[in-house]
Amino acid sequence: MITLGLGLLLLAGAYAVAVIEEWATTGRLRPAAPLLAGLALLGRESLVPRKADRVLFEVAPVLFLVAAVASFAVLPLAPGTAIADLATGALFINAALAYVMVALVMAGWGPDAIYAMVGGWRFLAQLVAYGMLVVMPLTAVAMRAQSLTNSRIVEAQEALWNIFTQPLGFVLFWLATMALAFLPPFDLPTAPGELAGGVEGEYSGVRLAIFRLARLTLVFSLASAITVFYLGGWLGPVLPGWVWSILKTLAVASLMLVGGRYLPRLREEDLLAWAWKLGVPLALVNIFWVGVTLLLVK
Amino acid sequence: MITLIIALLVGAALFGIGLYGVLSQTNLVMIMMGVELMLGAALVNLVAFWRFLHPGAYSGQMFFLIIMVVMALEMVVGFGMALARFRAKGSVEMEEAVELKG
Amino acid sequence: MILQTLAVAFFGLVAVWFSIVVFRTKSMVRSALALLGAMVALGLLFLALEAEFLGVLQLMMMATEMSVMAIFMVMFMMDPGGLGQMEMTHQKKLSLVAGIVGGLVAALLALLVDWGALVQAQNLDMPERQNYNLGMEIMGRSMLIFETAGVTILVSMIAGTLLAIVSRTQTTEGQE
Repeated sequence: MITLGLGLLLLAGAYAVAVIEEWATTGRLRPAAPLLAGLALLGRESLVPRKADRVLFEVAPVLFLVAAVASFAVLPLAPGTAIADLATGALFINAALAYVMVALVMAGWGPDAIYAMVGGWRFLAQLVAYGMLVVMPLTAVAMRAQSLTNSRIVEAQEALWNIFTQPLGFVLFWLATMALAFLPPFDLPTAPGELAGGVEGEYSGVRLAIFRLARLTLVFSLASAITVFYLGGWLGPVLPGWVWSILKTLAVASLMLVGGRYLPRLREEDLLAWAWKLGVPLALVNIFWVGVTLLLVK
Repeated sequence: MITLIIALLVGAALFGIGLYGVLSQTNLVMIMMGVELMLGAALVNLVAFWRFLHPGAYSGQMFFLIIMVVMALEMVVGFGMALARFRAKGSVEMEEAVELKG
Repeated sequence: MILQTLAVAFFGLVAVWFSIVVFRTKSMVRSALALLGAMVALGLLFLALEAEFLGVLQLMMMATEMSVMAIFMVMFMMDPGGLGQMEMTHQKKLSLVAGIVGGLVAALLALLVDWGALVQAQNLDMPERQNYNLGMEIMGRSMLIFETAGVTILVSMIAGTLLAIVSRTQTTEGQE
């Protein structure tokens, strides 16, 4: 029952993300547009390029969707309301998100097209950049909660949200999640205007619809992850817990979608250099800071 | 107990396939895949032994982590060699690397 | 219990099938991704064996590792897509025999030992407790081993980076 409800919520969330994304891009609020666009995609022919590696080509969008949904599955919406509140939840979400990269590499290699392949391998390099910045701030979060269970992580923020105790980790994690969801200015694998769609370029029809849906799900799931790890999840006055979760998640998602629009796209080597020369040392400082504060405050 | 034996048989099969791969492939990266499979077989055995023989001894899980480190190191060393070789000779086919024979 | 046995057998079979595919397919990217499939099946097998942390760790590590393997394949191979049907193997008979013999010996050992006397009473910790105990093991008795592993990884990272960077003199020579 809970699983079904959360699944529907995830779908609704992905839809909301689609509406907000269009609003942020074109400045027009059209609540029905994603539905129409989705139906139009389903009606169109789904082409398969010549000499495509059929297995990888077919598996990639599905794997992308599965990874995005799996990453949402371990995040609690309210006390006791999660599809699977694993004891290793904070680690599992990393594992699930790593398969986003595998899916994009498959989608890049599968169709036997230059732009797609460049986009796919670019995302692998992007993973090398953001991977550490996802894992290391989460280490600090788990340190404060003394648990990898996501509901425990939320409960540990009862007194003070993590965004206030570890602002550095929050900023790093935010940027890393934006790179993970390849939102601008980190949209290297799709790179409209430069790679002609990149990994998405060769997909059409139903497959493209799955691809887009997976991407929107991923954005919603990551916003939900930021809510759980840094913004106190369901904690909040007056309103019931799940309302707080949804409100915070949507707020984070819209900020993620709007914020990067005004920045120029980063180049691959700049992203890697900044992530490793600046980001990783800062993440270490964050872990050290959290450890010291935990020892001093308790 | 039957579960333990099944897990060990899986480990044995993976080890055999990995050994075949290491010996039969000519490309360095493919050889590394064989090594990874053999290490994977070791992982299966370790987890199975930990689970059924010593569920209270966490040095078993620790050993797992060390094997994982070994896997990562094997990748680094292998790709380091492959890069150097590719720069020098333009291929990583091991049949051509007779001068590396001791 | 029976469910666990079935799950272990199923994921084991999947892992073995994928690992056979690794050496049967011509396309190198496919073969790297098939290896990833085998490793994912192993991760699920560990989950079935109730080693939650190890299973999830395996799933996380292998995704990156095998994708990196795929890109190195594409970099180093003449024909990574396997379109030209290039011959990639040697000493087939010897390796086949060695593989079968090695696997059979290991399998025989697994079958011949009397495990009944060794199998412990089932008092497995809950996953939460397992994580805690593993952490205590790492930070307690096995700390030195863990530190050594960490330092070794750091050294190999530095060495790998050094090997990967083309030295200035080499580049200029190459251009001339």
